[in-house]
Amino acid sequence: MGRYALGRLLGIVPILLATSLIVFVVGYIAPGDPVQIMMGDFKDPQAEANLRRELELDLPPWERYGRFVWRAARLDFGTSYVNRGRSVGQIIRDAFPVSASIAAVTTTVALFGGVALGVISAVRRGSWVDRLARFTVLVGVSVPIFVLAAIFILTLALGLGLVPVAGWGKPENYILPCLALASRPMAFITRITRSSMIQVLTQDYVRTARAKGLAERSVITVHALKNASITITTVVGLAFGTALTGAFVVETIFNIPGMGRTAILAVLQRDYPVMQATVLTMTTCFVLVNLLVDLLYGYLNPRVRY
Amino acid sequence: MSATGASPAAVLAPEQAGVAGPVARRRAPSAWAAFARDRLALGAGVYLVGLALVAMVGPSFEPYAFDQQNLSATYQPPSAAHPLGTDNLGRDVLVRIVHGTRVSLFIGLAAQAAEVVLGLLLGSVAAYYGGRLDGIVMRTADLLLAFPPLLLAILLTGILGPSIPNIIFAIVVSGWPAMARTVRGEVLVLKTREFTEAARALGVRDSRIILRHLAPNTLHIVAVRATLGIGVVIMIEATLSFLGIGVQPPMPSLGGMISEAFKFLRSYPLQIVFPSLVLSSIVLAFNFFGEGLADSMSPWTRNR
Repeated sequence: MGRYALGRLLGIVPILLATSLIVFVVGYIAPGDPVQIMMGDFKDPQAEANLRRELELDLPPWERYGRFVWRAARLDFGTSYVNRGRSVGQIIRDAFPVSASIAAVTTTVALFGGVALGVISAVRRGSWVDRLARFTVLVGVSVPIFVLAAIFILTLALGLGLVPVAGWGKPENYILPCLALASRPMAFITRITRSSMIQVLTQDYVRTARAKGLAERSVITVHALKNASITITTVVGLAFGTALTGAFVVETIFNIPGMGRTAILAVLQRDYPVMQATVLTMTTCFVLVNLLVDLLYGYLNPRVRY
Repeated sequence: MSATGASPAAVLAPEQAGVAGPVARRRAPSAWAAFARDRLALGAGVYLVGLALVAMVGPSFEPYAFDQQNLSATYQPPSAAHPLGTDNLGRDVLVRIVHGTRVSLFIGLAAQAAEVVLGLLLGSVAAYYGGRLDGIVMRTADLLLAFPPLLLAILLTGILGPSIPNIIFAIVVSGWPAMARTVRGEVLVLKTREFTEAARALGVRDSRIILRHLAPNTLHIVAVRATLGIGVVIMIEATLSFLGIGVQPPMPSLGGMISEAFKFLRSYPLQIVFPSLVLSSIVLAFNFFGEGLADSMSPWTRNR
């Protein structure tokens, strides 16, 4: 297990290297010269040459890539092209905790909500909870996040006045973004919980547990859910991924200073260093979470041995 | 040879692909019958076809241009002149939705078609030849799958510029790996089957074995994947347009219309309703249709 985990952890390195190469190449072939963008209408060949040297844009591409990777490994991404003087590392350090906390809350809500809904709907098939679960799945899979956000804003914020429309900094600011973000991962989790519970409940050991007179509650939670949870873990990584990328939309709508909004702004303003850093950070997180889920899967499932 | 993919029988019953007509033909109707019995899927299909027809012919009958502003008739509720009302610039919402649907469906179908072709070719070639080629194709696929969904599309459209071909390109780049992986898995099994062996013994060229025997036999799975995938692609396009890096104004798109309506959510909530309904219903319909297709093609659920 330890050796396997170490091997998998090392396996991330080539993925990150390749990601950094993609990110670098994309920035390299991008139309528009950053020096021109930064200088604007101000034309001075000497200042342009200095700036070009300062940004190391005069070096050959392979050398630029080498330096890029070397600095990225130490979390140094230079300074923003648009906000001169702000280090990209600082921008990421400010934005990352915001998105990470949203993603954590979202994944937790989706996990508990989805498992509860899935278990109850599997145990009481055809009940109103079952119908609610199916509706959740349908809505979560088909309705885009921004439409859900609009529905929540119109009903909960503007209609009932329960929560603030937008803004950031107070605990209640989490409610709408996390609700909107959680719907899609919750749909995945509900669906897989329901189907794996239905499958597990037909197994012999569940019949044995019932036959020996165990309370239904402990049959479901201890015997059935514990086995179903193995399957459920596999979608948690996916849930986290959707929470991560849903952040682009939700952070834009609710004006939240996180990674998603930072990335979109950087793309729109052609702020390459910020863009490269956000993409690399988000991909690293995604890869790490998926690795963690894989390891957890092996830990939970005694039938998998590495 | 019945494995051309032209006849549904070959698609549905890969194990009979090498067998002559009658046996294969007898099983074909059951899948269609199962699909026809699935009212939800059938309804979704009819809805989508209807929507596609409206999107195709609608623009030649419209009384207003999609960017025709009328600043003296802004925020109009639905009326005879404007069945779905007008927006903040007095543009007809119905006309804009028809054009937006047209763009969404076009991008959805084009990108998904490209994903299917690329996935089929790369997946079956990788599986058939194996070795280094397989390694290169599948490692590339793994790498692209390591990106969180949507991030790659945002990066590519953001850098290359938000034109429709670039949006399609970005979606295809992030979408083909999943398709290739599915096809590869299928072909790995199919290439050990007798009909492949027989074709090879007869001296059929590799390219013909791949194109006529292996790839067509994965179509039953690819078809389901592709149908479900169109919904996802349309969602990605709408999200890109919503974020301002997809379809650009003045060209209307459902995502762009919703994004614009967000600014008037407080003062005129009706503006967001219709584009949201149409977008959600399209994705929902593709999901119903795709799941119905999956059920009718799976031997386990077909007869229920």
